[in-house]
Amino acid sequence: MAGSNEVNLSESKRVVPLNTWILISNFKLAYNLLRRPDGTFNRHLAEFLDRKVPANANPVEGVFSFDVIIDRSTSLLSRIYRPATGEEALPSIMELEKPVTGDIVPVILFFHGGSFAHSSANSAIYDTLCRRLVGICKAVVVSVNYRRAPESPYPCAYDDGWAALKWVNSRPWLKSEEDSKVHIYMVGDSSGGNIVHNVALKAVESGIEVLGNILLNPMFGGQERTESEKRLDGKYFVTIQDRDWYWRAFLPEGEDRDHAACNPFGPNGKSLVGMKFPKSLVVVAGLDLVQDWQLAYVEGLKKAGQEVKHLYLDKATIGFYLLPNNDHFYTVMDEISDFMLKMISWERLAMETNAKIGLF
Amino acid sequence: MGPYDSAISTGSTTSSPSSAAKPSEIDGLLAGAGYKVRSTELHQVAQRLERLETVMVNAPSEISQLASDVLHCNPSDIASWVDSMLFEFNPPVSIPSDLSDFSDLTYIDSVVSPAINQTVCNNSWVEHHTPQQQQQELTHQLTVVTAMEEDSGIRLVHMMMTCAESVQRGDLPMAGSLIEEMQALLTRVNTGCGIGKVARYFIDALNRRVFTPQAPCATGWSNENEILYHHFYEACPYLKFAHFTANQAILEAFDGHDCVHVVDFNLMHGLQWPALIQALALRPGGPPLLRLTGIGPPSPDGRDSLREIGLRLAELARSVNVRFAFRGVAASRLEDVKPWMLQVSPKEAVAINSIMQLHRLLGSGPTRVSAIETVLGWIRSLNPKIVTVVEQEANHNQSEFLDRFTEALYYYSTMFDSLEACSLQPEKAVAEIYIQKEICNVLCCEGSARVERHEPLAKWRNRLGAAGFRPLNLGSNAFKQASMLLTLFSAEGYCVEEHDGCLTLGWHSRPLIAASAWQPLLDTVINHNNLL
Repeated sequence: MAGSNEVNLSESKRVVPLNTWILISNFKLAYNLLRRPDGTFNRHLAEFLDRKVPANANPVEGVFSFDVIIDRSTSLLSRIYRPATGEEALPSIMELEKPVTGDIVPVILFFHGGSFAHSSANSAIYDTLCRRLVGICKAVVVSVNYRRAPESPYPCAYDDGWAALKWVNSRPWLKSEEDSKVHIYMVGDSSGGNIVHNVALKAVESGIEVLGNILLNPMFGGQERTESEKRLDGKYFVTIQDRDWYWRAFLPEGEDRDHAACNPFGPNGKSLVGMKFPKSLVVVAGLDLVQDWQLAYVEGLKKAGQEVKHLYLDKATIGFYLLPNNDHFYTVMDEISDFMLKMISWERLAMETNAKIGLF
Repeated sequence: MGPYDSAISTGSTTSSPSSAAKPSEIDGLLAGAGYKVRSTELHQVAQRLERLETVMVNAPSEISQLASDVLHCNPSDIASWVDSMLFEFNPPVSIPSDLSDFSDLTYIDSVVSPAINQTVCNNSWVEHHTPQQQQQELTHQLTVVTAMEEDSGIRLVHMMMTCAESVQRGDLPMAGSLIEEMQALLTRVNTGCGIGKVARYFIDALNRRVFTPQAPCATGWSNENEILYHHFYEACPYLKFAHFTANQAILEAFDGHDCVHVVDFNLMHGLQWPALIQALALRPGGPPLLRLTGIGPPSPDGRDSLREIGLRLAELARSVNVRFAFRGVAASRLEDVKPWMLQVSPKEAVAINSIMQLHRLLGSGPTRVSAIETVLGWIRSLNPKIVTVVEQEANHNQSEFLDRFTEALYYYSTMFDSLEACSLQPEKAVAEIYIQKEICNVLCCEGSARVERHEPLAKWRNRLGAAGFRPLNLGSNAFKQASMLLTLFSAEGYCVEEHDGCLTLGWHSRPLIAASAWQPLLDTVINHNNLL
């Protein structure tokens, strides 16, 4: 096997820029140290190694951030990112929650990745990504610091996401001027993408409107070993073995990967037919070994009559969106921006129509 | 201009707009992710990562166990982290695992195994900060804002800010009338907790500044302060964390030395030292001869309180067979201490321990030589093995009153919030008085009377670097034990974080106190750096 390892290493180096390769390889090796064979996790070392950044009320490149507690009982924090209006040098404590200005202001509920076990809302890589999203989408971004596996397995992350969604939906200062409602989109990468789907399910059941779901390399799986898993195992930073470990850490004891949380359109999945599910944008990296499951997700949405745009990036690996040094990054950011703009146009059109026929 | 970097290339890019990467520059994109790698070293670092992966593949089941036992240092420096991992895993020998079981850890009996492989990261390159990074380092850090349901609470904050602004403008009549209004509003607000409690203290501070500017509050050290300090120590983990972290670093620095000398810049009741004495007693190979020099204010009532503390510590040391000698140095101000008073012998390993004392040296009159420079200078001259520094992680030394007021409001709101989690009385109530005195000093005093001149870690890094010190890393051992200490003894919500070799303790993601360790650079290295 040593021979094929050497081939693997140089293969992944050929498809990403060198600094990206270093970043993701560093994560990969560090994460290997944290996962124990018995299913436990070295959380202390994980927190030590994770590069974190504090919130910053001083605008930096037009964005400022601050942290809020959404639920004291679970210590559920979120970091809020807002565009600076340019007037105030340092927002005082009142300006942090100043009402958003604009007829339609999108609010993005963001769920960071990390395979349910790693990273936090204040991890440097995700703080940077959220700041970018503010500029690209002209949105307020709320990044949820959800509880992680294995200490807090299913359904904790979903519960936290749901709590955050309800919180965002009820903030008076996040309401768009046009219709006094909060315009919510959900964005997540890896496990965050999985959380977006499951929180959207809850939203639909409970009548909270989510306008769009954006899933970047979402984390799905199943019992079966698919062709992409076998073909790409170990080749581009990710192995079947580590995916299995994270699912075992997240899913309830005794459940396998056909559990609905892991395999939403599998044997135990729920039907979405007839549901008013948010429009979805699903980004799949062509070198991600779980792509077959991501494609199955897209198909599942389509078969249920839901609107989904599928963006397949041929030579992209996991984590391509973390550093702005490759074409896939810009492609995806443009797609996200288009998706949001289109959604906003539809919303405007819908509101005008409703106004015309007196429904407003 | 787009919100992301305009340079698109398959190679690495720096975040600065100028094109050519200078040899000493670190990769800007990795820096944004929290990692420091020189642009010219990307290939080497990649090679080392490859090697590490190969090594790890060959020892799969032991890895996580090895990882727990190893001392990790400064994860931002990928190159040295990978090297330390390579050292540990290759050849694969089993490392003594006495660090792995903490089920019966108690604070006093903490056994700290000295790090055999203390890797100190070589920071001799010139760090090139982009303006963005500099701003991020020197800017305000925010407290956690709880959803403010009460309208009165919001009104109070609004009024306090307006009042502070009036004070800054010198419009005392306006400030005074606002204070009266706020005091009236306070009666309708719950001042027992939350924003009401914080407001109460801050309005009180404004009141003192405006109406009794000549004698706003008592400052300096005194007997009463020791009692307040002790209750603050018991009510929340900040001081325990400071002592614990500093002790860990001192213990490691003393490894292999038979004569050691600790200089404590503020002895108080000597709460920090029993743990160190016990840890030294249990050191493999036996304890060293320990000298402790405790600095503190002269006792007002003729008692020699320093000596009393020293005697108690000596008794403890005797009971665990540690040869111990104590010396007290009485001084009203730290800058009055002269190095000869400490009687440091060239044969001993010296540790200088400063828990929240250095910031007191930052006030200076126009004709005075900077006190901080003087003190840092003589610290260097003692050639210590380690200088442990713990400071409040806040920017309370700005000259503009409104800036100080705003910073303090954020900082102390978070601190009071964390204190809510404490249920011990009267510790909690007295701890609040301790904090209140600090607030008073920050806001009501000026000139030499204002001693609470807190500055953030980033500024201390610059200061200590300029004074000829290099940082030593507080590694993963200290981090893990600090985290465990917190889960055992404190409420949920406290968090320990590692930042570039230093540790911070905070509440709900806002760091409130920062611990770091330093060592003087050799003169030859300083001269070299000055030439660059």
